[in-house]
Amino acid sequence: MAERPTHQNQSEDSAETREDKRQKFQDLRKLLLAPEQKEIDALRDRLDNPVTRTEDLSAVVAESIELRRAHGGNAELNKALMPSVEEALRESVRKDPSVLAGALFPVMGPAIRKSIAESIRSMLESFNQTMEHSLSAQGIRWRLESIRTGRPFAEVVLLHSLVYRVEQVFLIHKATSLLLAHCVASHVSTKDPSLVSGMLSAIQSYARDSFKAPKEDTLESIQVGDLEVWVVSGPQALLAAVIRGHAPASYRATLEKTIEDIHRDFGRALEDFDGDSAPFAAAEPLLEHCLESHYEPKTSTKRKPYVAIAALAALAVAVTSLIMSVLNDRKWNHFMESLQSQHGILVTSSGKEHGQHLVRGLRDPLAADPSVLRDKEQIDPSSVKFQLEPYYSLDDEFIEKRAIEMLVPPHDVTCTVKDGVLSATGKAPSDWVRKLKDRGPLVPGVKKVDATQLVSTEASETEMLAAALKSTIFTFPIGVAEIEPEQEAKFESAAELINSLLGKVAPLSQPLMVEVIGHTDTSGTEGLNMSLSQQRAEYATRKLVEAGVARRNLVPRGVGTAEPVRNRDATGDDRLERSVTLRLVPAKSN
Amino acid sequence: MLQKKICMLGTTAVGKTSLVRRFVESIYSDDYHTTVGVKIDKKPVRVKDKDLDMVLWDIYGSDEFQSLRITYLNGMSGYLLVADGTRKSTINDALNIQESVAKDFAKVPFVFLLNKVDLKDEWEAGPDLEAQLAARGWTVMRSSAKTGEAVEAAFHTLGEKMLR
Repeated sequence: MAERPTHQNQSEDSAETREDKRQKFQDLRKLLLAPEQKEIDALRDRLDNPVTRTEDLSAVVAESIELRRAHGGNAELNKALMPSVEEALRESVRKDPSVLAGALFPVMGPAIRKSIAESIRSMLESFNQTMEHSLSAQGIRWRLESIRTGRPFAEVVLLHSLVYRVEQVFLIHKATSLLLAHCVASHVSTKDPSLVSGMLSAIQSYARDSFKAPKEDTLESIQVGDLEVWVVSGPQALLAAVIRGHAPASYRATLEKTIEDIHRDFGRALEDFDGDSAPFAAAEPLLEHCLESHYEPKTSTKRKPYVAIAALAALAVAVTSLIMSVLNDRKWNHFMESLQSQHGILVTSSGKEHGQHLVRGLRDPLAADPSVLRDKEQIDPSSVKFQLEPYYSLDDEFIEKRAIEMLVPPHDVTCTVKDGVLSATGKAPSDWVRKLKDRGPLVPGVKKVDATQLVSTEASETEMLAAALKSTIFTFPIGVAEIEPEQEAKFESAAELINSLLGKVAPLSQPLMVEVIGHTDTSGTEGLNMSLSQQRAEYATRKLVEAGVARRNLVPRGVGTAEPVRNRDATGDDRLERSVTLRLVPAKSN
Repeated sequence: MLQKKICMLGTTAVGKTSLVRRFVESIYSDDYHTTVGVKIDKKPVRVKDKDLDMVLWDIYGSDEFQSLRITYLNGMSGYLLVADGTRKSTINDALNIQESVAKDFAKVPFVFLLNKVDLKDEWEAGPDLEAQLAARGWTVMRSSAKTGEAVEAAFHTLGEKMLR
């Protein structure tokens, strides 16, 4: 029984003890685990507190996105982020468009500029080609074609200078024959591409059925006039390019690469295609890349100016040479006229030989020099050759020149030729006169020499001296045979005169001497007068010999009154009769 | 843009081409029928608030479906089966054609048109026929390319069936 209360007590005690124990346990736990507990509390706090959690996440968010991407979670990541990003962009634009515009500006600017530049370049190219072709005959033909077909002229020009141009590209869904995407070059008129696409497919089917070709085979090309349609086929879609002109074979590779790229990028869309072509709008840049064009190389058009310049240059050269030729001809004709008008030159023929003028004929050596005439006309010396043989002109002018050249007349002599007769006038030394008489007739062209008008220089001097001698007179007083002393000097000058005269005459063939003639007046007897006159003559002779005259050249002779001086002097002064006079006479031959 | 390929089926002279001509302005001449056996036209329509381009393949009708170019049907989303209501034989032909087509295109919706309803006096298709076909689940309409009766409606109905 004791046990019960005990048990009761025990249970009360144990209740206290449990409480106590728990407290103790708590204390113990605190003692043992306090540091860990603190850490747990701190961790809980970090997990529950959004502020700290955000801080923690911020440290790893970038790394975790990268990790996810690296593990191939691109699509999911994009899908998860896209709505937020789009919304954020929308919100940003709504709030302040300038922020996004500012961010995009460096991208948009160049893109827009490139697009505008491309448009302008294309326009200029078209304009240039139009200009180049506007004025030619071909240009006119093309303009007519433009009027006829209603196409703009620029387009007609482009079409004709085209090697090839891809005008349209169709992306066609094979299973439905529906058009997925289409692009067209500028200035190309098209029909509804979805119908063209359908017809292309129909034609494909038609060809395949008609020739029982396998289903996977496609018609690779269709040619209509200068248009070709090239078709390349992929598993789901085919690409058809409409080409004007002849594209190189390498272009097919471009198409094949494009259809491959389209299958790679749009594989799923192609499989799921149910008539909605919207997803394939993104394929249009790939198609546009196929819109190649190739025009005639510029060189062919640039060649034209060179041809024109060359033609102009050739024309200029031709015109210049024509003008030069005309001028040269005129110059030449003028030269020939003046050459032929020259005395002493006879042109027998003229012509051209090896590009050179050749003049043949005769020329008197005394005629004008043809090369002087040539230079006067400013004719290129190398363009002319003269073959002029020498000859003697019988023209009086040339005979005269020739005579003058050969005879060399003295200054006082003038030579003239008339009708072949050479006449000389003037004074000439006797030896030249002799030369004239001897050689004159030998001058070519001279028929006769006339020297009658020619005075010998020596003869005229002798005459003059003779005249002086004749007028010399020595007068004497009446009845005296000695001269008055004031007349002594007269003998000196008389002796000089005599010597000079005889010296001049000496070369002449006929020798001369001087008579010293004594005279008297008529008073007195004849005998006395004769003796006196003789004395006077001898006296004068003596005096002259004294003055230097050789005795042999003097002949004293008394004449009395026989040869009165009065006859010579009309003064009538008889004083002159009592005198001695001098006279030139031929020397007596021994 | 949503596009659907639609074929016009039916034997010669039941009025398929006239129906198409009534429905669209064509860019191709009818000569295409005799050259490649098909003429293609397009009609934009609005069905169930959606813009839809109907690309119509008007296939040259032949009396024997065997010679019809089955490849022309590939990818079609629907077809108009046309018979001449004034000629019973064409109705039978149409039924045969449908049977053949259904082998390959069982799920492709179609509308059966009894054409030339303007020629009431010569009408041979009895009301029983229409009831029978309706019982099969077919949509049967009476049309006239001449008056235009039910032409637009037929295409619209087909459009709605295709977009269901």
